[in-house]
Amino acid sequence: MIKDMIDKQVIELKKLWANKRMLTFQLLNLAMIVFSALMIWKGLMFVTKVSVLLYWRFSRRIDCLFDDEMGWVDHNGRMSWRKYMLRCMLPLEDRLVSESPVVVVLSGSMEPAFQRGDILFLNNSVEKVDVGDVVVFKIKDRDIPIVHRILKVHQKPDGHVELLTKGDNNRVDDRGLYAPGQLWLEREDILGKAVGTLRYVGMVTIALNDYPVLKYVLVGMMGLFVLTSKEG
Amino acid sequence: MHTVWVRLNAVVFFGLTVLLCLSILAALSKIGHTRYHQPKIHKLALNQLRSIKNHGGVDRALLSFDLHADMTPAFHWNIKQIFVYVVASYKTDTNPNNKIVLWDRIIEATDPPSAKIIKEENVFVKYGLMDQGAELRGREVQLQLMWDHMPLTGTLYMGEQAKDTTSTFTLPHDYL
Repeated sequence: MIKDMIDKQVIELKKLWANKRMLTFQLLNLAMIVFSALMIWKGLMFVTKVSVLLYWRFSRRIDCLFDDEMGWVDHNGRMSWRKYMLRCMLPLEDRLVSESPVVVVLSGSMEPAFQRGDILFLNNSVEKVDVGDVVVFKIKDRDIPIVHRILKVHQKPDGHVELLTKGDNNRVDDRGLYAPGQLWLEREDILGKAVGTLRYVGMVTIALNDYPVLKYVLVGMMGLFVLTSKEG
Repeated sequence: MHTVWVRLNAVVFFGLTVLLCLSILAALSKIGHTRYHQPKIHKLALNQLRSIKNHGGVDRALLSFDLHADMTPAFHWNIKQIFVYVVASYKTDTNPNNKIVLWDRIIEATDPPSAKIIKEENVFVKYGLMDQGAELRGREVQLQLMWDHMPLTGTLYMGEQAKDTTSTFTLPHDYL
């Protein structure tokens, strides 16, 4: 049956090659799919930005959240709608948005709450992280971010915080995971606070990471099907 | 091309869409739950201060507390577990705000109903009350119960004991 299928695909491809007009049409089709995926991705990023700014506009805490050299806010710390619209068109500072708004849980250190393969939605626009918050942090010179809960918060007079984290399912706190000699995390180490979860979706990512060949197989198959499939 | 694969593809994607929609609906279904269902915290107070010592330049106090709380109302069908924790907060000269978890417990939705009612006396802390420096003596410490709702799918949100029902105690001025 599979051989049958492959034969069919080959025949379809040969037909396509012979009919250049059809080939162009199918290639354009493929391009359309790729570009719409890109558009959705970029669109989502824009929506995130707009909502982050909107949140700040109403929470009236904009003044402390970005360096206001351009005079976006008035002396009350408020931003007019016109300026808000303008601000949305400009890129947002890196530290104000999560590096990635979604992470996949890779370890069982937060079980039973989060299991390997769950995805977490992050929010990094929160100015303060508090004790008990589940946060995603990254240790310097290490690639993989870690999802754990904040166990201790020590706040200095200037508002600067020093944090200690621990996995719910771990026996000890995270000092052993930090860089050698590092005792505390700081706000900058935190990529975001976990605000939501969706189960199992991350399994796909884990599978793709564990078996990189899968990526090419999947993309290749999808491309082939788009090229050879006919409407109706 | 009405092959098996096209149909399989359609079924899988339709299935995934339905699952996603159901997840979103499940996530939305908790709206308004906390307004009408709040856990009842009857008591959270210091029972006994066991020790306060200096370990290598850092102050550490060990203590036990009484905790009576009914966490049952916090559960609803989209809750997988509640993470309950006791927070000690205090002020020192170097740190105007310190918050430290002294004790925590995971209550799963599948646990028997009796596990959702915490009624314990003289609970020893899981994590010592440890300062960043040596400034613990003579400080006033507030104990507050907090909990994190961890859903099957959807948003995480916190709950905490009302500030006016929390208890405080003062640590002695000398090491003990």
